[in-house]
Amino acid sequence: MKAFKDLDPVLHSPLRLAAVSLLMSAESADFTFIQEQTGATAGNLSVQISKLKDAGYIEVTKKFNNNYPQTLCRITPFGRKRFAEYVKALRDYLEPDLPTEKG
Amino acid sequence: MEEKLMSGEESLKIITEMINRTKINIRQSSFHLLFWGWLIFACSLTEYLLWKFTDFASPWYVWFFVIPGVFVSLIYGFIIGSKEKIHTYADKLYSCVWLGFLAASLVLFIIVYRNIGLFAPLILTLAGMPTFISGFIIKFRPLIIGGITFWILALIAHFGGPSIAPLAMPVAMLTSYLIPGYLLKRKVDHESV
Repeated sequence: MKAFKDLDPVLHSPLRLAAVSLLMSAESADFTFIQEQTGATAGNLSVQISKLKDAGYIEVTKKFNNNYPQTLCRITPFGRKRFAEYVKALRDYLEPDLPTEKG
Repeated sequence: MEEKLMSGEESLKIITEMINRTKINIRQSSFHLLFWGWLIFACSLTEYLLWKFTDFASPWYVWFFVIPGVFVSLIYGFIIGSKEKIHTYADKLYSCVWLGFLAASLVLFIIVYRNIGLFAPLILTLAGMPTFISGFIIKFRPLIIGGITFWILALIAHFGGPSIAPLAMPVAMLTSYLIPGYLLKRKVDHESV
């Protein structure tokens, strides 16, 4: 059984994990959408989004849509890979007796 | 959502909950179904009435109304799409299926231009595919049935004879676009309350 500390510290935080989970099935998502879905404050989410961006897990694009500023987030291939590894590590942690997937 | 140490079970719960919140946007779908449903219904019925009750030589000219319809549909899709807060892969797949149908319809029109009588059964066959697939993407049974109905009506359009065949197209619009479109609109309105 793997130790709990093996879980990726960048993802093993409720808000960062929630944001990345939302972005996994989306091509892109607006900052306000992530805020609405997670129930986080704008300030807290902004800090966590910056951490994910600095770690290379997500890309952040700022643009104007009908004269309103819009912040779009999308997951990077590296972020997608790290998320898959996190889920696998989580699975190994929760169900240590299951056989490891091959291929 | 506070920053705290999570258990493995809590992590799994967050992942499941968040992934379930990224649903496909079905508001646009109902607009396109109703818009195209009414446009094609009007064109096909007008063509039938002109052919049946007038001496007009080329009743199929009414189909030129489809050209501005394409622009209206594309512009609406672009404007509404740019306002969406999230673009899921399912949204992209849905759009690509219908853009593919638009391109295939144009190619089909060029191919059968000199034998326009073949156009109705072939376009009904083609239209069944995006309708059927879209029904599965948005998990909406009336649209899946609508896709199947297109294929049945394509056979009627081809083998039904001159008195029945021309009515296959307007009937297809009722069963495959308008009825699913209004049911979908009701679902969207109900969910947004």
